[in-house]
Amino acid sequence: MPTDKSPVMVEMRDVYKYFGQLKALDNVSLDVYDGEKMVLIGPSGSGKSTLLRSINQLEKIDRGHIIVDGIDISDPETDINKVREEIGMVFQSFNVFPHKTVLENVSLAQVVVRKRSKKEASEISRELLDKVGIIEKANEYPEKLSGGQQQRVAIARALAMKPKIMLFDEPTSALDPEMIGEVLEVMIKLAKEGITMIVVTHEMGFAREVADRIIFMDYGAIVEEGTPEHFFKNPIQERTKIFLNQIL
Amino acid sequence: MAEIADADKDKPKKIVIDVGDGAAIPSKEDVGLFTAWRVAFTGSIAIVAYLAIFHPDPYWRILKFLPDGILVTFQVTIAAIILSLVIGLFTGLGRISKNKILNGIASLYVEVIRGIPLLVQLFYIYFALGRIVNVPAMASAIIAMSVCYGAYMGEIFRAGIESIPKGQMEAARSLGMTSAQAMRHVILPQAIKTILPPVGNEFVALLKDSSLVSILAVSDLLRRGREFAAESFNYFETYTMVALVYLIITLFLSKLISIMEDRVGANR
Ligand SMILES: Nc1ncnc2c1ncn2[C@@H]1O[C@H](COP(=O)(O)OP(=O)(O)O)[C@@H](O)[C@H]1O
Ligand SMILES: [Mg+2]
Repeated sequence: MPTDKSPVMVEMRDVYKYFGQLKALDNVSLDVYDGEKMVLIGPSGSGKSTLLRSINQLEKIDRGHIIVDGIDISDPETDINKVREEIGMVFQSFNVFPHKTVLENVSLAQVVVRKRSKKEASEISRELLDKVGIIEKANEYPEKLSGGQQQRVAIARALAMKPKIMLFDEPTSALDPEMIGEVLEVMIKLAKEGITMIVVTHEMGFAREVADRIIFMDYGAIVEEGTPEHFFKNPIQERTKIFLNQIL
Repeated sequence: MAEIADADKDKPKKIVIDVGDGAAIPSKEDVGLFTAWRVAFTGSIAIVAYLAIFHPDPYWRILKFLPDGILVTFQVTIAAIILSLVIGLFTGLGRISKNKILNGIASLYVEVIRGIPLLVQLFYIYFALGRIVNVPAMASAIIAMSVCYGAYMGEIFRAGIESIPKGQMEAARSLGMTSAQAMRHVILPQAIKTILPPVGNEFVALLKDSSLVSILAVSDLLRRGREFAAESFNYFETYTMVALVYLIITLFLSKLISIMEDRVGANR
């Protein structure tokens, strides 16, 4: 299990992000260790997505620093595309490419970005599709797939870049209840492989099983952090207790 | 329930008046238009045939005189479509660009072009080009048409690109693609479906507007007609024939485009 002796994979220092007047990230500082599984919880609008998206610069922060695997991404000299290659992201709305088959979805960025040959990319894609349990759909178009299946394609697509970090933004929130399990199963399997994961989710069962650390956010700030045990047994902050009561 | 209905009634209904520039492109669902298309198409061919056979003088003579012009009309139209698509792509990309300068140039171009009548633009570009370089009449006519239509194409591309959910761009970028790579491999291939129908309309509109180049010493269909009429003094007969030939070509092209659209829709 990673500890604070492991190297830091993502370091956030005094990060602020505004949307107009609205302070979406309010002085956030955070270290995520190599191999750590971190779960981010908090009410809707508390800034969880913004925090996640600022790590691969889908949102540009207004102040502070974010250092990913030793590279300061807020430095204008940094080639953000290079950094993004190392950070996989899975979205609530899947965002699979509807004009590509499942296999092509997973292969596209390998060929375009990683410059792998089509053949090599296809082999890697097949391995990953097998891993997420959807190899039999390799030649289907996404519209033929259920939500759970599409989300597993999206996970395979991100993994195909061999990222060091995986970001998950409420990956099961858009799914019918009966499909949540199949996606969580894939994520649990992945967690056991040692990759660094930051997951926004309200699936507390998943958090309990996988998380090294849980972070509770509210109004753009980190309110409380601790192990799952801490959160389930004796959360300290009043806001944390209220929130946990609502979702548990 | 009743309350909701009342509330709906009070709201001003959004009225869409769907009158394009081009001939209406028939689709199978639109049965009325579909039969109107048939009547117009077979009718105009029948009239041309009747006139050419039973009144060969002057109609058959006119008909023999026109094909050179039809060819030129096609050349101008196709060349201008291709060029205006290229201009339109870059204009559309410019219009959505975060780069203030590119965006400004593209927007200015669109505003200026849309504010000047096509005929005036044609004259202007034709004579402006003539001052700088000595290009053949045909080439300046094509460039002028393309510059005009490029602005409209740009708006079509912009709308098409903006119709793709922004999660698609984010997913592509999060995989490390540059915005150009994401545009090429993810956004544009999906936008094509939205872009194609209005581009088809522009195609038909451009074909009709290409008759304006007859003023610029380009021997297109209309100009060939004018030449014949001026020599033979058969003005009415000549322009009857010219109008019918334009109608047949336009109807045929509309049909062709609607078939192509069906294909693209069906095979994604
Ligand atoms: N692109 C945006 N423009 C304006 N406001 C935004 C934008 N994205 C998020 N916000 C606002 O920022 C706050 C944090 O949003 P978000 O990070 O999505 O919260 P969460 O993921 O925790 O629900 C919310 O108040 C939200 O409305
Ligand atoms: Mg969110």
